[in-house]
Amino acid sequence: MDFKKVVFSSWAGKVVDNRGLEAEVCAPVEELNLPLECDPARVKAFMGWDGFLVVDEKANVVDMAYAYAREVQKLACGECAVGRIGISVIVETLGRLLKGEGREGDIELLQWVGKGMKDNAKCVLGQTAPVPVLDSIEYYREAYLDLIKNKKAISAPAYHVKVTAPCMEACPAHLDIPGYIELIRNQRQDASLELIRQGVCLPGTLGRVCTAPCEEVCKRNDIDGPLAIRALKRHAADWEMEVGQIPPVSIFGEGGEKVSVVGAGPAGLAAGYNLALAGYRVTIFEELSVAGGMAAVGIPAYRLPKAVLDREVDIIRGAGVEIRFNTRVGRDITIADLWKNGYKAIFVAVGAHKGRAMGVEGEDRGYEGFVDGVKFLRDVNLGKRVVPVGRVVVVGGGDVAVDCARSCLRLGFKDVNILYRRSRVEMPAREGEIEGAIEEGVKISYLVAPTGILTEGTGLVGLECVKMELGEPDASGRRSPVPVEGSEFVVNADMVIAAIGQEADLSCLAGEDKVKISRYGTVDADPETCQSSEKGIFSAGDCVTGPAILIEAVAAGNRAARSIDRYLRKGEAVSSAGASRAGQSAALSAQREKESTISRAPQPVGCLPVAGRIPGFPEVEVGLTREAAQEEAKRCLRCYRVMLWQSDE
Amino acid sequence: MVELIIDGQKVEVEEGATILEAADKLNIAIPTLCYHENLTPFGACRVCTVEVVVDGVSSLTTACNCPVEQGMEVRTVSERALEARMLAVELLLAKCPGSEAIRSLARDMGIEEPRVELETEGCILCGLCVRTCQELVGVGALRLVDRGLDRDVKETFVEASTDKCIGCGSCAYICPTSFIKLEETGDTRTVWDRVFKLKKCQVCGNYWAPEAQLEYIRKTCNLPSDFFDVCPNCK
Repeated sequence: MDFKKVVFSSWAGKVVDNRGLEAEVCAPVEELNLPLECDPARVKAFMGWDGFLVVDEKANVVDMAYAYAREVQKLACGECAVGRIGISVIVETLGRLLKGEGREGDIELLQWVGKGMKDNAKCVLGQTAPVPVLDSIEYYREAYLDLIKNKKAISAPAYHVKVTAPCMEACPAHLDIPGYIELIRNQRQDASLELIRQGVCLPGTLGRVCTAPCEEVCKRNDIDGPLAIRALKRHAADWEMEVGQIPPVSIFGEGGEKVSVVGAGPAGLAAGYNLALAGYRVTIFEELSVAGGMAAVGIPAYRLPKAVLDREVDIIRGAGVEIRFNTRVGRDITIADLWKNGYKAIFVAVGAHKGRAMGVEGEDRGYEGFVDGVKFLRDVNLGKRVVPVGRVVVVGGGDVAVDCARSCLRLGFKDVNILYRRSRVEMPAREGEIEGAIEEGVKISYLVAPTGILTEGTGLVGLECVKMELGEPDASGRRSPVPVEGSEFVVNADMVIAAIGQEADLSCLAGEDKVKISRYGTVDADPETCQSSEKGIFSAGDCVTGPAILIEAVAAGNRAARSIDRYLRKGEAVSSAGASRAGQSAALSAQREKESTISRAPQPVGCLPVAGRIPGFPEVEVGLTREAAQEEAKRCLRCYRVMLWQSDE
Repeated sequence: MVELIIDGQKVEVEEGATILEAADKLNIAIPTLCYHENLTPFGACRVCTVEVVVDGVSSLTTACNCPVEQGMEVRTVSERALEARMLAVELLLAKCPGSEAIRSLARDMGIEEPRVELETEGCILCGLCVRTCQELVGVGALRLVDRGLDRDVKETFVEASTDKCIGCGSCAYICPTSFIKLEETGDTRTVWDRVFKLKKCQVCGNYWAPEAQLEYIRKTCNLPSDFFDVCPNCK
């Protein structure tokens, strides 16, 4: 961090006190590891859940503590007496001090309440709320004494505020997770879902298939296991389906212009939904006969029932988003046509639906029985009849490979195999999916790679393979597989599914030379503004990042909508320089040593017994009951983190 | 079974029992406010706070909702526990000075006047009414409205859904502060600002219960339509 000089810091319990010292002898500030969202060169003072920092000597820490406490009060759930009444006492006392009405004993009062909250408030927000107040009393006591003695009113500067939490920070869409969980705890599923929809327009879909990066950072991991955040989201969405409620749509903006979106996948739907809410007239052009992109044709129905996605798409269309099905941009209509038809901005979100080649001799000759994974899943999802064959071999170790294998079982295949070139540890598919596949009877061979395909006439009869061993770690950090010399062997197969990755098909941009394509074959667009190299054309999702998770595509669609709105109102998408700092809360999970929290086991998320899963595609995961959801919601520690800073920005 | 130590005494309780239940077995009284033995514990008032030592680490917890652990040591009257409890009661007293339940707790702890002045309120947000309506009556007409969605809500409060409420009055009965008012005049009962018509007994002619409540019970228990025409006293 490029601070000129830190005057004081108590961040994370580590005190740096340079008051009265020359800049040269100051402690190095890099070690502070501050979760700064602001420009470090311009920050004057910063306060957060774990202490405070002063850069400009003139910053008033008492006023800052007051502003901080008021922000915390807005978030306090009001459930526990110590947190709720305690924060009121802090706000009222500090407010009085700053009005010049301080009294003897106010400092002791603040310390008494502050210590009590830190020790015994019910949630982490309540426990951390008094930290900057207590720290500022300890290290800037004279500022408090001065206010009490001289009874001078202080004029307050403006502060920047950010509210987050470890889970919110990990979520690409930055959903208010503690907020929606709290509403479920209070049996207000409707309000919970309203809050969820402010960040994601596909709650029931994500409640089933999100990889939940939020759960990986949940503070309860250190105690007794993470909150079932994804399952709770699903619970709220399922509640709405059960009661048959259609959520109200409120259009808040007055955009008016026509915007076109290419591709009705998660990114396109998210952008379309948000632009429609902002008042724009949105048309999505979709090549297929269904909406949802990979969620519709990439994820099998046993993980995501069609009815769930269809309902969410209907809600999005209900908000005013028009979807033109069976219309491929680049074939049925061109980008040039869209401009001619009066669209003022174009959002390209075509995803990555093209299977990557295995790189073995003969795979491109169209042998019967040789298919690519994404195409296979698409066919199955679109209801195309697949006749089971004797032995199917799926090549690959990702979610698509596992989805293909488990789908085969459900279609009546009896002998289903996966070949993966590394070992189980490196397998990128989700652990629960791999376990599910094994439970259901999929056989997985590790450290095997295909080198060629064996054919008879026009049909395929097997794969030539070689055994692998793990060598040195590659760029991804995983140990790279190396062929074992002389270990070649043959794997018989009646059908081979190659599921080793996907790439974007950007033929919709044919002739649009100004739109730059990266060397990875993706659209070169700004990650924050989603602006491509051609004015008015935006792009995000898998066709920019390469295959990624659903929630990232939804979050990217949200960002694109904000950016397109700004572009249409102000003529340009704001450069990413300011925004890219968001989400850099490096030490967000760090917190001063706290005593133990009593453990409380998570509510288990149930699964259909193996015998009931096959054949057919019934949903495997069973949602939480209302009681279980409420119990699970009670486990949330509410690790809201409030940050407040003063800067000359 | 789980063995733990409370105030130096060994006690064995079933797995899943709370500290409060274990203490009760030893006849050790821990003060409570938002607790009721027939309802899910809430941990909201913090009045039953105790000090707990697990693996040498001391922490505070509420006794009502904390499950026991093998080898746990609980201190119900340590200085740390008492201080935390007094803080909770003193803050509650400042917020709800009119509540006899709180005044009595304060008296027991030797708190005369709270050292802070706050805007006062009648409801202490113990959630007993919400839980009773949900768990015992089974209606779920009450809920806590907080800042989860609408951060402009100034204070958390209890909201009654008038289309669900059956007028049974259980909430008013359980309320420790008499904040929930129930009034009866002639053939009507008023609770949560909603007026309920009372049913007249065909024998004695007394108005004995809200029609909405009787209808709810009749439907839930699948009773004949004339089942409540006569009051229990005349049956």
